[in-house]
Amino acid sequence: MQQSNWLKWLSSDARHFQILSQFTFLIYGILFLGWDQDWLNYAAAFTGTVGIQTIFIKTGYAQNHSYKSAIITALGLCLLLKTNSPIIFFCAGAIAIAQKFAIRINGKHLWNPANFGIIIAIILSGNAWVSPGQWGNQAIFVLVSSVAAWNVLSRIGRIDTGIIFLLSLSIFEYFRTVVYLEWGHEVWLHKMTSGSILLFSFFMITDPMSTPLNKKARIVWTVSVAFVSFYLTNFFFINASVQWVLFALTPFTPLIDKLAKASQFNWQKSIQPLFNLKKQTNESTY
Amino acid sequence: MKALTRKLLALSMAMLIIVQSSYGFCGFYVAKADTTIFNNKSEVILVRDGKHTVITMSNDFKGDVKDFAMVVPVPVVLKESDIKVVDRKVFEALDAYSAPRLVEYYDQNPCQPEYALDEIYAMPTSVNSNSMVMKSESIREKDFGVKIEARYKVGEYDILLLSAKESTGLKDWLLLSGYKIPTTADEVLAPYIKSNMKFFVVKVNAETIAKGKFEYLSPLQISFDHDKFMLPIRLGMANSTGSQDMIVYAFTRTGRVECTNYRTVKMPTDRHIPLFVKNEFGDFYKSLFQKTWKTENRNAVFLEYAWDVTPNWGMKCDPCVGPPPMQQEFADAGVWWANTGGQTFFTRMHVRYEKSKFPSDLTFQVTPNNENYQARYVLTNPASGEFECEEGQQYLLDLRDKRKLELDEYAALTGKISPKGQKYLSEYQGKILLAKKNEAPIFMKEFFKNNGPRKLLIALSAFMALIILFRFSRSKIETKIV
Repeated sequence: MQQSNWLKWLSSDARHFQILSQFTFLIYGILFLGWDQDWLNYAAAFTGTVGIQTIFIKTGYAQNHSYKSAIITALGLCLLLKTNSPIIFFCAGAIAIAQKFAIRINGKHLWNPANFGIIIAIILSGNAWVSPGQWGNQAIFVLVSSVAAWNVLSRIGRIDTGIIFLLSLSIFEYFRTVVYLEWGHEVWLHKMTSGSILLFSFFMITDPMSTPLNKKARIVWTVSVAFVSFYLTNFFFINASVQWVLFALTPFTPLIDKLAKASQFNWQKSIQPLFNLKKQTNESTY
Repeated sequence: MKALTRKLLALSMAMLIIVQSSYGFCGFYVAKADTTIFNNKSEVILVRDGKHTVITMSNDFKGDVKDFAMVVPVPVVLKESDIKVVDRKVFEALDAYSAPRLVEYYDQNPCQPEYALDEIYAMPTSVNSNSMVMKSESIREKDFGVKIEARYKVGEYDILLLSAKESTGLKDWLLLSGYKIPTTADEVLAPYIKSNMKFFVVKVNAETIAKGKFEYLSPLQISFDHDKFMLPIRLGMANSTGSQDMIVYAFTRTGRVECTNYRTVKMPTDRHIPLFVKNEFGDFYKSLFQKTWKTENRNAVFLEYAWDVTPNWGMKCDPCVGPPPMQQEFADAGVWWANTGGQTFFTRMHVRYEKSKFPSDLTFQVTPNNENYQARYVLTNPASGEFECEEGQQYLLDLRDKRKLELDEYAALTGKISPKGQKYLSEYQGKILLAKKNEAPIFMKEFFKNNGPRKLLIALSAFMALIILFRFSRSKIETKIV
């Protein structure tokens, strides 16, 4: 199939698609969901992440293409973190990127940068929060996010993580809400179509750099994140528990990696053919 | 001498700043859209501090008091000291203070400047309510798996706290005890029983009924400590197919309250609307709410007001619709910390819910977001007098364009075209003497003023910037490979 240069370049790195999808969600939030965030806040998040990344690139710690990761982190913060202060956005972005270089085990960073930035901003500033209800439950959103996610994740071989997370969370919630509590299916569906849950499952927990490398280990790890967040939501009424659980369980990934060996993940090597999504390659063959 | 001049200059600067801040908004408050314009509505005050929650439920029941009954799921068995009745005036005060407001500006005549004064208009009222019927109560609870955990007499109410083993038993017990609950109620009662909730069951006591006609029933206030921060709305929807309005007045120490399982959306605010809305603001806001509610797919919670109302904190509204909450009102609402000077943040939310769009109960969270917000609509009174000078003529031309935009705004906000529009537009037509000239390219001006297109423009430019960035990073990689 003849592909234009542009398309070839676009499909050369799965992160391009991720940036495009996240950017689309941000525009959707601002234009259609009426978020009241200042543009200054978004600019601050970008300055924080890209600025710090530049420092690390200039000092030789990172390669040029890692700018893309910084943009993904900034978009992640814009999509999930809420605060009225651009300074907090800037710091969250800067800390998120800095920890990628400061906290490394086996040459791999530990936390998902956006997740780290969000949790640190909430704990340290006391003036930041996440709004689990901000996405609503519109069907169109569900459709678009899953298509976008499928596009990104199938390329990096991490679609399994997102789907397993969503599936196990749905099963836990189903047993609690419908089977045990006897609410109607609509209550369960309302919980599971929450935009925040979908975005988390497709764009945060699937981060190949901060999840276990071995496939089986990753499944176990994903199910445990789903279970703990289900437990905290239903029995301790903690809002946005998925973010906290991911943050708390991330330190276990190097341990899991040690027990279940697999090869390193590399963004640019990971790419799979654009028009042949069915062909799933096991990353251990890399 | 120089130093003195500098000091004087600094002083005058400081004065200027003070003057500016106290006249931050120079319109006058005209009218408000209080809750009386909405039928089938309920009002709730929610106070949350850590795990401690105080819920005050308004009671606008009109009818025979012996027909009144209420069942509310609560997370714990309440003690007698946790239940009280409060003066219903607190709802009126909070409503008046936080209602969407109409303000007006006065144009100055460019030929001969002068000012006029404002007038205040009252709102139409209409109140309606539903209730359940209660008879006698002499059925054995045990047979139904129902346990009376506590029984209190508070104000004019007899209160029972029930726990139940299963929903059918509870439903039958309630039915036999004279509570007219819908036959489909057990499917909603079951989940509450399973989640270990208790039932707060209220009726008016015999002495009050014996006294005869009762003008109104007092609002009931309950307080408890629990992690759950929610309002059970499902029970109230069991027998209703239509939509119901609820106004939530929430108080916290830190900032806004927002819904965690539905979107919390701000009402459109600071819109310039035609002058004739002055006499029909209630109807205007009703249509506006209806339109916004439909636009948001009928399943959002709407923010109508959010303000730091800490006593002695300074300006609390801009402009004020009514006097700010006083000590007595804070005390009645259950905001116990406010009168000792603690920071108090007030959020007003309006939710119109119906069964198909609100499957789950509303859950909330307290955020540190202390940004102020109010639903405010702006009127502009035209200048009066003669407009024969050149500037006066230009003013009339501009006025006509401005009114065109106001009518567009009116149509966009309410989804209706007002029959008064034509007359409004041509009101000053007779005073235009000169031929049309210098008409400003108003479309371009408004394109940048209006929110939507501007945002789109910024979004597009951001997108372009991203593409350029991509290109940049790509060329870097290629150079490296080469």
